[in-house]
Amino acid sequence: MRHGSGWWLLAPALLLLLVAFVLPVGMMVPMSFRPYVPLVGITDGFTARYYTRLLTDSYYLEIIGRTLALGFTVTLSTLIVGYPVAFFLARTPSRWRNWLTILVVFPLMLNLVVRTFGWIALLAQNGLVNQALHALGVVESPVKLLFNFAGLLIAMTHVFLPFMVLVLIGAIQNIPRDVEDAARVLGASWGSTFCRVTLPLSAPGILSGSILVFVLSISALVTPRLLGGPTYQVMSTLIYDEFLQRLNWPAGSAQALLLTIMVLALVYLSGRLARRTGARA
Amino acid sequence: MTAARLRAWLLRVWVALVFGFLMLPVVVIALASFSRTSYLTVPPRGLTFHWFTKVLGDAEYLHAIGFSLLLALVATVGAVGAGVAASFALIRRRVPGGALVSALLNAPLVFPAVVVGVALLQFYAMVHLNGTFVGLAFAHMVITVPYVVRAVTASLQGIDPELEHAARVLGASGPIAFFTVTLPLIRPGVAAGALFAFIVSFDNVPVSIFLLGAGQMTLPVKIFAAIEYGVDPSIAAISTLLIVLTGVGLAVAERWIGFHRFV
Repeated sequence: MRHGSGWWLLAPALLLLLVAFVLPVGMMVPMSFRPYVPLVGITDGFTARYYTRLLTDSYYLEIIGRTLALGFTVTLSTLIVGYPVAFFLARTPSRWRNWLTILVVFPLMLNLVVRTFGWIALLAQNGLVNQALHALGVVESPVKLLFNFAGLLIAMTHVFLPFMVLVLIGAIQNIPRDVEDAARVLGASWGSTFCRVTLPLSAPGILSGSILVFVLSISALVTPRLLGGPTYQVMSTLIYDEFLQRLNWPAGSAQALLLTIMVLALVYLSGRLARRTGARA
Repeated sequence: MTAARLRAWLLRVWVALVFGFLMLPVVVIALASFSRTSYLTVPPRGLTFHWFTKVLGDAEYLHAIGFSLLLALVATVGAVGAGVAASFALIRRRVPGGALVSALLNAPLVFPAVVVGVALLQFYAMVHLNGTFVGLAFAHMVITVPYVVRAVTASLQGIDPELEHAARVLGASGPIAFFTVTLPLIRPGVAAGALFAFIVSFDNVPVSIFLLGAGQMTLPVKIFAAIEYGVDPSIAAISTLLIVLTGVGLAVAERWIGFHRFV
């Protein structure tokens, strides 16, 4: 009886997921093998050409490479920028701590389009960053910061930094202070205590924070679209154009499935890695 | 100054710089929205509320705001209903394959949103749900349900099942025990989950943009399209309004339910 009532309670959520998630994603698999003929549309038949094109054509390989490179650098920069902040927020005895944490959450809750818009104002040719660089005498003429890697890296670091900081706060709070104190008492310097005790013990948080930020960055659509424009493409903007501009759903489905496989593989591997090291991420 | 104090100061300086970085785009937008110029400029030249009155008098923006609010409300109600029931089943009832079910419930969080968007675009075209409010609402429920489940399961794990058991022993039926004992105890979790769901739905672009039919427009997609069309201070004005609303909402949520515990 208890099992039965459990399933009844799960039914609405499972039905919703089946209809508006599992089936739609599943339908993309057959769609990705259908041939698309320009001016005719999606035709019957079978072809694997959208997959072979994705994995052999240099145009697509460049976009895939750029997406991964961007994901990797954004992850690294949020880690470097965010770790000290998380360390501070995890350890500070200040009574303002909860409000400071909320200040990290604030950008996360603020509309992503709005945040990206702020970066357009900052990074434009006559934007605040270029004005500041010019006033400081760093540059003679404005630096190009939109529609390229640098602009996307800066803005996406801003967008995903809160995720990294919030995951790291949890991980650092879980480290028992006694362990660090023991290392200090036994004569280790602050630097050596940090590198050999604190940092390794926060490794599970570093791993899960990095996977989270990496997965979110390679899936991001809004920021790359608005700051990269239609020319500086990443995988998600490619999918966007394939569906809304070129109307080639089979090619878009193949691209979407490749992105999904990349994301799921990463999540799966990180889960295995976390289990193998005995760490709970 | 000792090395320890120097380190503490350096850390504080770094933290202050990063908080400055986090707030930078917010401040820039707010400043730009008061500029008298017809193009976006920071620092603003002059001071005017023209862009605010322009945006709030624009029928397209007002329609988009209303549509977004309605969609977020419907999605939140659906996600909370389905999510609370599912969380209760997962934590309190031993459902076979519970781990798999919970992985499935969280899957829309892991999947790239753009993939969910295009998958639904295709699927809705096949089942003739394209361009409908129902289809859009289902899509938003799918992407918001994981947030509800996460906040509510966290809350449920923190309360003693014996309390509900006691109510049952004293003669309360299952639903009565749930609504009079369990639900009041997990209210902060439900409130946090609902708030998350509402914000996630209200902010969504990568799913909505593929599913909006003729005459339908959400606020973030409208702003997105406006930016692609050309940047002007009225976008800064509507953005400033969202900044203020988000800030106030978050401060209220923190005082009311200790929101940071659920993030």
